Amino acid sequence: MISSAYAAAEGHAQSSGLPQFESSVFASQMFWTVVSFFVLMYLLNRYVIPAINDILDSRSKKIGEDIQQAEKSRVEAERVLANYRDQVERARQLTATTLDEARIEAAAIREQALAELNEELNKKKASAVEEIERTRIQAMEQVREAAVELAMLATEKLIAKTVTKPKAESMVKEALEHMEKNRIGMH
Amino acid sequence: MLLTATAISAEAAQAAAAAAPRMDPLHHFQVIKYVEIAPLGLDISVSNSVLWMWISVAAVFAFFRYAMREPALVPGRLQSIAEAGYLFIRGIVDENIGHGGKPYFPMIFSLFFFVLFCNWTGLIPASFTATSQLIVTATLALGIFFLSIFLGFYKHGVKFLGFFVPSGLPVLLLPLMVPIEIISFLARPVSLSVRLFANMTAGHTVLGVLFFFSATLPWVGSWLPFGFSVVFTAVEIFIGFIQAYIFTILTCVYINDSLHLHH
Amino acid sequence: MESLPASFIGMGLAAAGLAGSGIGLGFMFGKAIEAFARQPGAEAQLSKYVWIGAAFVEAIALYGLVLAFIIMGKG
Repeated sequence: MISSAYAAAEGHAQSSGLPQFESSVFASQMFWTVVSFFVLMYLLNRYVIPAINDILDSRSKKIGEDIQQAEKSRVEAERVLANYRDQVERARQLTATTLDEARIEAAAIREQALAELNEELNKKKASAVEEIERTRIQAMEQVREAAVELAMLATEKLIAKTVTKPKAESMVKEALEHMEKNRIGMH
Repeated sequence: MLLTATAISAEAAQAAAAAAPRMDPLHHFQVIKYVEIAPLGLDISVSNSVLWMWISVAAVFAFFRYAMREPALVPGRLQSIAEAGYLFIRGIVDENIGHGGKPYFPMIFSLFFFVLFCNWTGLIPASFTATSQLIVTATLALGIFFLSIFLGFYKHGVKFLGFFVPSGLPVLLLPLMVPIEIISFLARPVSLSVRLFANMTAGHTVLGVLFFFSATLPWVGSWLPFGFSVVFTAVEIFIGFIQAYIFTILTCVYINDSLHLHH
Repeated sequence: MESLPASFIGMGLAAAGLAGSGIGLGFMFGKAIEAFARQPGAEAQLSKYVWIGAAFVEAIALYGLVLAFIIMGKG
């Protein structure tokens, strides 16, 4: 009863099963399924897949290039760093040698200056000694002459007769030697 | 007296039944021919199923065309989705076919997105799910079935018949096993097509029932089926994806069986 | 027996096949959760197969449903 009411109400769908099993619409759907699928496949294969392929390929190429570039940069940076280290090392060595040289030179200069100073001092000392010696001899001479004069005058006055010069000189000499002996004894 | 009362009440009940909204969750699977075309006896009428098939094809193509309109090295959102879809299918092909699977990639790519978009466009209200039609899925499945047979004989010649002889079995068991293998091979297109069609049909039937209840029940009761129909629509989106995925994977497996005879 | 009530009974019996699919799904997800609990790291790999398996098991139930619909058409 109910089903007959259903069937009456349905009208257009006489067989009340799944509409999918109605064979009257099979042929057209089969045809259009095949056509739609191949049209889609053609369109995707023609326009979409190559585009995605291209972009993926170019991206992987780009990434590969970037990696290569980075590798190159790294090598370059390492080279620069090594170069720099080398330079620093060389500069350090140069500084060290310069310092050594300077030290040696300074030592030499100091040595030389010291030697010059010594020499000068020695010279000065020698000249001073000579001067002193000369002055002393001169003084001694003057003293002797004065003593001879004095002795001659004294003797003349004392013994009122003239003493000959050679005799007086020998006497003075004697006196001087005596005096000298005394001076040495004093020292 | 009693008789007339029952007669009246039966009549009233019948009238009420005729006037009340009738639950018919299978109604929306009805194929309606819009334009009848039959040149040379070949029926190529355009029906709602065919129309939504076209819409799905157009949607797939439009989506990919739009997403890849200016392919950039650094992809935008849509381009990322398109590329993810491409890589997803390529992963399936590589995983299931492996060596020698590259020529079949465009076919499998199109197949996946055709099925997926047919499943998904069917969820739009007032639309039609082409993949809920047995004949549509059967056409696809039979195409794959015959392709796999053709590939098997094309690549291996008569040796492809060895596919039905399981290796490492005692000879005594062969008369039993070979028919089983042949039957399971023949069941492939059936299970492939029925799985997809039945999933779509069942899901939409459930949705139809839920919609019917949420539309006809008084408001106190209608919110429950309504809320459940919302949840189930989300489940249907997921099922649509999973079924397309399985359809694609099994296609790959069948092609692989034909390309690489077992060891 | 009249064919119409018989076909209704047949539809019900065909739909009873869904029980098997339910048991299968329960087993599968139960085992899957067990596996995830033991190996949380393998979840991403395994869940793929779980969903594929779920679709297969669910399809078995739907064969019963299709049978029911076929019977409905014959009734």
